[in-house]
Amino acid sequence: MSTATQAATVDREAIPEVANPLGLDGIEFIEYTTAKPQALGQVLEMMGFRPVARHRSREVMLYRQGGMNVIVNAHVPAMPDGAAPTDKPVIAAIALRVRDAAEAYHRALERGAWAVPSRVEVMELNIPAIHGVGKSRIYFVDRYETFSIYDVDFVPIPTVEPRPPAVAGLHFFGVVQYIGNDRTEDWAEFYRELFGFTDLPDDQRFGILPKGRILRSPCPASSRFYLQLIEPEASVLDVEGDEALQRVGLGSPDVLASVAELSKRGVEFVESRGVHTEDRGALTRTWMGSVSFELVHNER
Amino acid sequence: MSHYSGNIDDFGMDTISLAGPLEAKLKAVRSAGFSQIMLAAKDIVGHPDGMEAAVAAVRASGLRVTGFQVLRDFEGLSGHLHDYKIDIAKSMLDMCHALDCRLLLVCSSTSVHATDETAALVKDLRKLAMLAIPMNIKIAYEALSWGRVINEFPQAWDIICQADMPNLGLGFDSYHMFATNTSLDELDILDPDKIFLVQLADFMWTEIKSVEERIATARHFRVFPGEGVHSEALATLVTRLHGLGYRGDYSFEVFNDDYQQMPLPAVAERAWRSALWLGEDVLRRSVPLPNQMRLKR
Repeated sequence: MSTATQAATVDREAIPEVANPLGLDGIEFIEYTTAKPQALGQVLEMMGFRPVARHRSREVMLYRQGGMNVIVNAHVPAMPDGAAPTDKPVIAAIALRVRDAAEAYHRALERGAWAVPSRVEVMELNIPAIHGVGKSRIYFVDRYETFSIYDVDFVPIPTVEPRPPAVAGLHFFGVVQYIGNDRTEDWAEFYRELFGFTDLPDDQRFGILPKGRILRSPCPASSRFYLQLIEPEASVLDVEGDEALQRVGLGSPDVLASVAELSKRGVEFVESRGVHTEDRGALTRTWMGSVSFELVHNER
Repeated sequence: MSHYSGNIDDFGMDTISLAGPLEAKLKAVRSAGFSQIMLAAKDIVGHPDGMEAAVAAVRASGLRVTGFQVLRDFEGLSGHLHDYKIDIAKSMLDMCHALDCRLLLVCSSTSVHATDETAALVKDLRKLAMLAIPMNIKIAYEALSWGRVINEFPQAWDIICQADMPNLGLGFDSYHMFATNTSLDELDILDPDKIFLVQLADFMWTEIKSVEERIATARHFRVFPGEGVHSEALATLVTRLHGLGYRGDYSFEVFNDDYQQMPLPAVAERAWRSALWLGEDVLRRSVPLPNQMRLKR
């Protein structure tokens, strides 16, 4: 094909450059910070996660079920501004699986992301990160197939099954982000430009909490996840300062079966006029003042 | 408030019009009846007790920060010059954020080291807007009338449209528009929601003959709207902007050497008269009802 013909094709169809510029392939881990790691650990265990390893040099634990890794960070300082973690757990980071972490990191900086200075100890991995919403970070991880990042920075807990199976087929489905007034377009552009997320049409929604804008990651179907941006209710005048990652969504092939299984483990679900358990999804109660999980019907 | 209170909350002063320390400027502006002020980086970094004290003084004043100025000669650079300017931009954004200010003013580059390629200017402004998103800051891009490539607002608007970022919009300065004799009809191309700030100033002579005189006038001889010979044009401009649907802030961008050696309350009083003239005589607003709530958009 001649160059002229190629140019004409672009003129007529506007075929996007690359659908998945970073080779994004799902969430590697989600990190919470809290001054009460044991209490949060109990919540996670109730949700089906098992503690599998502890960090070599810091007060950090790795919990796992199926393909999901959750890190609980009680190290001081846990936050990028040097602040100590609070009692209320905060979703402090999302780690994204990418084709090449260094390349993804430099591409993001080139487009206007803020670098997070790393605080690596001897023999630990330098995982590149950029600033996300509020005080949160977004990590780039590329070593998830041949060997795992946890093999370097974490020591396995003896006698514990290192790969506990997921309860009722649970997997990462997405993260809900609370944003300020009139901030939907800003954040949608942030995730589009830096990672290749696309807006989901307004008539396409998952689960039982359909509010706001939903962004779809460009990952292959087997690792696809979503971000949900939610602005304050119109009647609320002044909450603009409060932008943060609010809760984690877990995908389930059979929500009612998952709810039954988790209920046996002691998990309570919200039953109110507005929100209640059904085929499409369910919402757990909130623990420790800030931690809840949403179940969403999703085959994977 | 001792002053007769008009419906002019969207008009504000700029610290560059006043002499003296930050606290004195804040007090004078507040006492004159204004509810907002435009700040410059040197107000913050030049504070004798440091940046934190400056931020605390601004918060204690009760004044809203209209915007923060000014990032210069940013776009179109390459290599180490680009990296250097990104560091400067980050520092400006950090200060802006510390002040809870939602707007950073950027004026078009005068640098001979910058390229004139539109694609490069667009790319740099996109990057700047992206840096500002996590901090909830809007970028207002202004065509300086002696900018090397971009020197009239329709050109700035074109770059803004091409960059297509939700938090990148136009900073509009009446002085530069009058200096380049840009037609008022060009205003009709603008989307009022993407005009992030309007700065107003008058000046004392009708004609500006050279670029040198344009720069000298801009930096030393501006006066408040209604005090110069362009009052009628300013009135038309403000009326046109209002008709277009602009409902954002108006800030008096008045650089004047004489005002630098006058008591602060006297300068602020002149600014207040100017705001009343625009609000009541030009835009013919009625006085608000007592305790009226102004909802955010």
